[in-house]
Amino acid sequence: MAKGAPLPERDSQRPVLDVRDLKTFFPTDAGTVRAVNGVSFVVREGETLAIVGESGSGKSVTGLTIMRLLGRTGAEIAGGEIWLTRGDGQRVDLARQPEAAMERLRGSEIAMIFQDPMSSLNPVFPVGDQIAEPLRLHKGLSRRAARAAAIELLELVGISDPAQRVDTFPHQLSGGMRQRIMIAIALACEPRLLIADEPTTALDVTVQAQIIALLRELQTRRRMAMIFVTHDLHLVGDVADRVAVMYASQVVEEGPVADVLSRPAHPYTRALLSCIPRQQHGQPRRRMTPIPGTMPSALATPHGCRFHPRCAFAEDRCAAALPSLESIAPQRTARCIRWREIWS
Amino acid sequence: MTEAAAPLLAVRGITRHFAAKGPPVRAVEDVSFDIQRGEVLGVVGESGCGKSTLGRLALRLIEPTTGTVAFDGTELTTMAPQALRRFRRHMQMVFQDPFASLNPRMTIGDALIEAVRFHDRLGKTEARDRAAALLRQVGLSAEHLDRYPRAFSGGQRQRIAIARALAPSPRFLVADEAVSALDVSIQAEVVNLLKSLQEEFGLALMFISHDLSVVEVISDRAMVLYLGRIMEIAPIDDLYSRPAHPYTVALLQAAPGGGKRGGDRLLLKGEIPSPSAPPSGCVFRTRCPFAIADCARDVPPLTTVRPGQLKACIRDDLTL
Repeated sequence: MAKGAPLPERDSQRPVLDVRDLKTFFPTDAGTVRAVNGVSFVVREGETLAIVGESGSGKSVTGLTIMRLLGRTGAEIAGGEIWLTRGDGQRVDLARQPEAAMERLRGSEIAMIFQDPMSSLNPVFPVGDQIAEPLRLHKGLSRRAARAAAIELLELVGISDPAQRVDTFPHQLSGGMRQRIMIAIALACEPRLLIADEPTTALDVTVQAQIIALLRELQTRRRMAMIFVTHDLHLVGDVADRVAVMYASQVVEEGPVADVLSRPAHPYTRALLSCIPRQQHGQPRRRMTPIPGTMPSALATPHGCRFHPRCAFAEDRCAAALPSLESIAPQRTARCIRWREIWS
Repeated sequence: MTEAAAPLLAVRGITRHFAAKGPPVRAVEDVSFDIQRGEVLGVVGESGCGKSTLGRLALRLIEPTTGTVAFDGTELTTMAPQALRRFRRHMQMVFQDPFASLNPRMTIGDALIEAVRFHDRLGKTEARDRAAALLRQVGLSAEHLDRYPRAFSGGQRQRIAIARALAPSPRFLVADEAVSALDVSIQAEVVNLLKSLQEEFGLALMFISHDLSVVEVISDRAMVLYLGRIMEIAPIDDLYSRPAHPYTVALLQAAPGGGKRGGDRLLLKGEIPSPSAPPSGCVFRTRCPFAIADCARDVPPLTTVRPGQLKACIRDDLTL
C-alpha cells in the first residue's frame, strides 16, 4: 500500500522516538571525540523536530546514531537510550538492538534520507528496483507487486510518467528527481520516523521549496514523525514544528519553532539568529553580527558552559559548571544559567 | 544612474557557448550591464544559470564567444595576453572554496608575498611588510605570516584569500560564492569584511551567490539570471520589495524564511531546462505560471519598469 489514506486522528502526543542522554564517542589517536554528549529529545507522531547547528555541532552524528549507521565511522554509543515506539505499539531501545534487529527496523520503522542522493543511490540499478527492494525485503512482496508499488510511489513523490521512469537509472535524473527517488525509497514501507539529514542543501532554492512541500504533505498524510537535520535556520521555520539547537555536541535550547526563533532563550540561538541576514524590506539594512571566536574542538571543550568563551552574556560563574538543560516554560528548555534575563 | 559617471565595468552583449557533444551549452547569452565605481552588484540565480561563467567573462579569465567587456574605458576583450596580465592587478577574484585556493605547502606569508611581488617590484622586507598590512586589513595579524593554511579555520582562510586578492590594490573584485561554504556565524564575518573593504577603499564588487538573503545584505543592485539570460536587474530595495519578473518572485518566495509557507507560494514546476536546448522565446516560459503563447515567439528585451529597474518579460499586465 503505497498511497496511504489519512490515518484516523490519534493521540498526537504519543512519542514515536524518545532519546535520553545519548552519547556517541569517536576514539581517535588524539583522544576521545565526544561528538554527541548527553542529547535528549522526543519526537511525536505527525511532528517534525528540526535539529539545527553549525558544522561540528553533532547534529548529523545524532541522526546516524539513531539509525545505528555508525559502523564505518568508528564511533560507538557510549551511553543513553533511544526508545522507538514501533507500529505495533511495542517500545524498543535502538541503542541496544543487535544488528540483525536493526536491519529489520531500518526501512520499515525508521528511514533516513541524506544530502547527496547520488551517493546513496546505486548507479547500476534502475530506480524502480531500488524502490522495490525494501518492499520485497520487509513486506515480502512479489517482484511484480513490488514493481507496481514502486510505480505508485513514484507518482506519490511527484514524478511524472512513473510507469516509464521506473526503469531509468539515477544518472538520467536531475538532483531534485534523485532526492524524490530517495524519499520514495525511504517511505516505501511507511516508516513511523523519517530522519532527513540536510536533504535539500545540495538543491537549488526553487527545487528545495518543492521537496520541502512534498515532505510536509507526505508527513501530514501519513502522520509520520520526522527529524530534520539542517544548518539553515531560515529553513527550520518553514519545515519544523519544534526545534532543538545544538552547540558543541549538546542541545542548548529546544521548543516550538515560532517561539524559539522569535524569542530565543539561549545566547547561542540569539547569536545565530543575529548572524543570518533576515529580510526586512523597507528598513535600513543592518550589518550581520558574527559570533566572535570559533566553535571549540570536540577534543578540547571549554569547562563549564561550552558557549561561554564566545558569549556576550558570560559571567565568571558560567565557566564554573556545565548548566543543565532546564525547563523554562511548557515545552521549552534552555541550557543557560542566565536564561531569565535573556528570555525576557 | 547619472549619465556623467562612466562605469568602471561595461559589459555589452556578452555571450559564451561551450562546445559539447551535440549542441553547444549556452552558458551566457547576450548579457549587458555596468558596474559603477565602488558599487556592489549582486548576481543571483540557480545552478546552471551562468552566474559563474559571467564572473569569469567579466575578468576575461575565459574568452567570450561574442560581446565586449571594458574596464574603466579600456577594452579587455581585444587586449594582448601580456598587457592583460599586467592589467589584472585592477581586477581580482575570490572563490568559494578557501581550502582549494591556498597552497597547503606554502606559508600564508609566502603566498601573500608572491601575490604582492607579482605586480609590484618590492624588496623582500617591503613585500613582507605589505603582506602583514594585508593581513591586518582582513582582520588577521602579522603573527599569522609564518603559519600554514591548515592552521586556519574556514573563515580565516577565506580572509586570507581575500587578502591575497587585495595584494595588487584592485579596484574591482569578483566574489564567486565566496561565503557559501562557510557556517552562518563565519559567513556574517566575511560579508561584513567585504562590505567594509568596499566602503573604505571604494572597491567595486560583483557578488555572485545563490543565497538571496546574503545578496540583499551586501548589494547596491542585483541581477537575476536564468539559463544564461538576465531576467531582471534592479536596485536592491526595488528587486526585493517590488520584483517585476515572475522568476524573481518565485525565487524570493522559494527562499527559506521568505515569509510564505505552504500553499501561498508561487511554487515553480519542474527544474531548469538544459542550457544546450533552451526554450524558444523567453527561456523561463516553460516554468512560468503566467506564460502565454506569445512568450514562445521572441526573446523578450529588457524594458524599464521604473528608473534603474529592468525586466525581460512581455507581460506588463501582472500584479506580482
